[in-house]
Amino acid sequence: MSIKITTKNLNIPNYNRLSVYREHGGYEALKKALSMEPAAVTDEVKRSNLVGLGGAGFPAGVKWGFIPKDTPKAKYLVVNGDEGEPGTFKDRYLLEFAPHQLIEGMIICSYAVGIHKAYIYIRGEYIRQIKIVRRAVEEAQEAGLLGENILGSGFNLDIVVHQGAGAYICGEETGLIESLEGKKGFPRIKPPFFPAAIGLFGCPTVINNVETLSQVPHVIANGAEWFASIGTEKNGGTRVFAVSGHVRKPGICELPMGVPLRELIYEHCGGMRDDRPVKAVIPGGSSSPVLTADHLDTKMDFVGLRDAGSMGGSGAVVVMDDTTCMVDVCANIARFYAHESCGQCTPCREGTGWVSKILDRILAGNARPEDVDNAVRVAKNMMGRTICLLADGAAMPILSYLTKFRNEFDYHVEHKCCDVKGG
Amino acid sequence: MPTLTIDGIEVTVPDKTNLIEAAKMVGAEIPHYCYHPGLSVAGNCRMCLVEIEKAPKLAIGCFTPCQEGMVVHTSTEKVLQARKDVLEFLLINHPLDCPVCDQAGECWLQIYYMKHGQYESRMMEDKIKKHKKATAIGPTVTLDQERCILCARCVRFCDEISKTSELGIFNRGNHAELDVFPGKELNNKYSGNVVDICPVGALTDRDFRFQCRVWYLDTQDSICPGCSRGCNIQVHYNLDRPHHAEGRRVLRLKPRFNPEVNKYWICDEGRYGYKFIDDESRILMPQVMRNGGMEFVSWDEALKASAEKIKASIPEELGVLASPQLTNEELYLIRKLFVEELGATQVEFRVPPKEEGYSDDYLVKADKNPNTKGAEEIGLAVGSAEEILKAAAEKKLSALVIFVHNLVNSGLDDSLVKAALEGVETLIFIGSNFSDTSEKANVILPSATYAEKSGTFANSEGRVQRIHEAVPPLGESLPEWQILNELARALGLDWDYQGTEHIFAELAKDVPAFANLTYEILGDQGQTLGYVPPAEEEALVEHGELEAVRAT
Amino acid sequence: MAVEFPPEVKREFDELVAKYEQTRAALLPVLHLAQREFGYISPEVEEYVAGLMELPPTKVHEVVTFYTLYHKTQPGKHVIRLCKTLSCHLLGAHTIKDHLCRKIGLENGHGTTPDGRFTLELVECLGACEFAPMMQVDERYYGPLTPEKIDEIIDGLTDEPVVENVDEG
Ligand SMILES: Cc1cc2nc3c(=O)[nH]c(=O)nc-3n(C[C@H](O)[C@H](O)[C@H](O)COP(=O)(O)O)c2cc1C
Ligand code: SF4
Ligand code: SF4
Ligand code: SF4
Ligand code: FES
Repeated sequence: MSIKITTKNLNIPNYNRLSVYREHGGYEALKKALSMEPAAVTDEVKRSNLVGLGGAGFPAGVKWGFIPKDTPKAKYLVVNGDEGEPGTFKDRYLLEFAPHQLIEGMIICSYAVGIHKAYIYIRGEYIRQIKIVRRAVEEAQEAGLLGENILGSGFNLDIVVHQGAGAYICGEETGLIESLEGKKGFPRIKPPFFPAAIGLFGCPTVINNVETLSQVPHVIANGAEWFASIGTEKNGGTRVFAVSGHVRKPGICELPMGVPLRELIYEHCGGMRDDRPVKAVIPGGSSSPVLTADHLDTKMDFVGLRDAGSMGGSGAVVVMDDTTCMVDVCANIARFYAHESCGQCTPCREGTGWVSKILDRILAGNARPEDVDNAVRVAKNMMGRTICLLADGAAMPILSYLTKFRNEFDYHVEHKCCDVKGG
Repeated sequence: MPTLTIDGIEVTVPDKTNLIEAAKMVGAEIPHYCYHPGLSVAGNCRMCLVEIEKAPKLAIGCFTPCQEGMVVHTSTEKVLQARKDVLEFLLINHPLDCPVCDQAGECWLQIYYMKHGQYESRMMEDKIKKHKKATAIGPTVTLDQERCILCARCVRFCDEISKTSELGIFNRGNHAELDVFPGKELNNKYSGNVVDICPVGALTDRDFRFQCRVWYLDTQDSICPGCSRGCNIQVHYNLDRPHHAEGRRVLRLKPRFNPEVNKYWICDEGRYGYKFIDDESRILMPQVMRNGGMEFVSWDEALKASAEKIKASIPEELGVLASPQLTNEELYLIRKLFVEELGATQVEFRVPPKEEGYSDDYLVKADKNPNTKGAEEIGLAVGSAEEILKAAAEKKLSALVIFVHNLVNSGLDDSLVKAALEGVETLIFIGSNFSDTSEKANVILPSATYAEKSGTFANSEGRVQRIHEAVPPLGESLPEWQILNELARALGLDWDYQGTEHIFAELAKDVPAFANLTYEILGDQGQTLGYVPPAEEEALVEHGELEAVRAT
Repeated sequence: MAVEFPPEVKREFDELVAKYEQTRAALLPVLHLAQREFGYISPEVEEYVAGLMELPPTKVHEVVTFYTLYHKTQPGKHVIRLCKTLSCHLLGAHTIKDHLCRKIGLENGHGTTPDGRFTLELVECLGACEFAPMMQVDERYYGPLTPEKIDEIIDGLTDEPVVENVDEG
């Protein structure tokens, strides 16, 4: 089954322009939504089993439902377009080639929840995408799709496109909110700072990933049942996998939730480069524990990946063949987290740096005998004890390499070199 | 008011109490670094992790509010292990140089390590180098970035309390470092407090650095005499090591918590204002003018000389300038001796300052005296300093007794002061330090500083608070109350005050505002003038008279 | 005072700030603007921005040093960000780096070339792993890189920064 939803029209020339988007049915879902009761819109999204595609897989409709109905405070929608998880690049496509799809989803969400101001936070390096989304917002504004009295409905919404400045931690929702408030991206302590209660400017805030919101117009246009019928029992619809590494055809690949990993690699990404065997796969961004060739039948939805001991994460799939040194991969990943830890929590600030130092030492052949065990211990000590999940997101994959490929680490320590390269 | 169980003990706490504070109530200590009860909660050090039944993860005690029915454990194996691990993380980039660290002895890294750490060392990692090692970052504080554990207490202090925001944590991850803005200083009226709240040796006090190892310090509770706020302080002193710190005994002042007055803080003016106690300008012996020069004499001689001069003056020719630097007990004795016994009418305590003192909307008051309120209540504002000096200048006084004041550097007219000090036949100066005024005296009676005596001050809000003797009066100096007692005896009165508590009891009977107050009631946090004991208060509330009583 | 927005940039600043509920929220975009205007964010620029936005300078300095996209010193005419994270690493980012450094004349592997033409930053994932190994030159992404491709890109650069023009079609 090859159903594409959010990426279906990406190849249409100028689909990122309002007129072309409308020619292909754009903003019809919005009209439909505006004719519904707001609560019915949320309900539709709930029943569709649309889950958050930014990392956590939390049901989108349920999240919207957390926003208090009667509050004297303003409410905000924040779109998470920070896309920093290594391996992830799907939002870049959705921003660049279908900005109106996102805007339409945002308006529908805002209407459902009663929001009149929304921010799109896009990572600072995505300059092309930022320019395109800005232009799209202007187009929508001029066409009466944003601003006051949208399509004569009496509903108002303004959107501001916000450029990030280079910090992975601003993908974490509360780090993002702090950043959007003009501060360092220090994640907030949850509870009580659940965005739904105390979010942007201290107000109730919905925060969703670009892709999550890009799905929304289709859920409304085609109905919850249609959407839920695609995908798995708990995870409705499709998701856009961003595949990179040793596959023949790296790129984005939208498939129903729960597609087997094997199918993704061999049917949709052209199989393995040089037909080498799969050695390891990161199934949901670098924070997800690595899978081995034994896991190729894993169903790629949040549930299937959790059952396989990993996670759905951001949908970024990094495929590695048998020439790959796992010590090298693990050390590379550890360096990333050490660089990106915001540095507030002791275990994360010190742990990410320490474990990275140990792994670099193992990689360089300067390790001490106890270093592998030490790396395991340090990684374990980071887990479950910090403000946000970056520490766990660093520790879990690192532990997965250290345990699943322990022999490679031991070999490095003992022989001061690698037995994989050139294999 | 939720009721919860902490380490098996049930406790009911006020709403919004966090677990660290609740644990204190049952005698359990949850170790912590970033949490400070006077600041917002950051929750970053992760030292205060505790186990809450039914919670999936350990929770931080500083940010977790108590909830009804919660069951909390502060020292399960899981908790102890987490603490140990956090300590290990904190030490991984921390220099191992406690022996040369000025914080040693009061460093919470050291203290908790001894208590909760103690593992075989895995610290064989190269430490991250940071660029500020023992660097002065302002007039009062030295920074050592490698010792900083990034708890952000000092940053929050400057944001929330001094509201000057000089400090920040720059860069991120394990390159994060605490610093001032490039080229700027940590320089505000409250800067010294960051040293107190820094849990490690990253911020140290330039004034105190390497003056004395903290384990040689003794402490005594007191009240800052720097202004009429009456901040609660601790005097830190050492009597055994005269070869250190240039022989100074009092080595530093620290704020002492009082929620009604200064919370956890004091201002720099007060903090560093202690130097006069051991200063060279201290008056160490009584002196009397003889043959055109001042001569050191015994107390007996000095008192005798003073008494003779005072006796020789008729009440109208006797001027007294008491001081709001004195305790209530002393001011009361001044009133009793000079006004009641000797009938003096030219009595005053207020001397205008040369210029309006600095004040702000937080702690610091413009009135730089700790006991103006007390002096007012005791009734020593009778005339005005100016009138008394005029009388002196016009040679209408035969004796003028000046306590503490340096009139020469005051807001009074210079020529008037000069004329007065020269015009009066007998000038008795009672004070602790030499000044331009003591210069002019023909009798000098050396008195103790506030750190060398006991008594009470009433701050601008009428809170009566106790000071205690930390160090003995220097040289032959004596507390003013004792001098007054002796002077009264030399004048033939049969006074025999044995201590300040004795005087205070009498004062409380005599001066209405002090009614009902005793040292016991004052305790270590003080009590306000017009105090009504709880039992009486209840009765008054019943009769709807409390407000009326309070208003008096 | 050399550090000051010219009137038209000041207007841009005002418009930016007006978009947000709180002035401080505009800090990141304002710093981007300041960087465009002044080339990099010096402490003087931080103080200027702090003054405009009524923030303590420390808060601006915290932000500038937290995020990687703000230059703390004058960068070269072109800023090259070469990704070193996993997907690019797997496909040979290190060899690309060596070639790139030789090509632009950079000896120690990162920083600014002696002629002030290039600044090379080795960065974490730029979100274009399908083009691994990849890099960003000024505003634009390039990949997959080969030594030949690098030569072609570098040789094609003028003295002006590479700009993403979205209205080209
Ligand atoms: C360290 C960390 C980094 C994250 N980075 C991103 C990101 O780049 N983009 C994103 O959409 N979500 C990211 N998330 C997840 C967000 O916190 C949040 O769950 C998400 O934006 C919610 O949107 P969704 O429900 O639509 O997925 C990250 C989470 C963590 C802990
Ligand atoms: S876990 Fe790491 S990234 Fe997250 S808040 Fe703590 S220090 Fe920052
Ligand atoms: S200097 Fe001290 S108070 Fe400030 S962050 Fe560092 S350890 Fe905490
Ligand atoms: S505010 Fe006044 S009482 Fe408090 S420390 Fe400062 S000078 Fe002393
Ligand atoms: S005291 Fe609770 S995290 Fe620091």
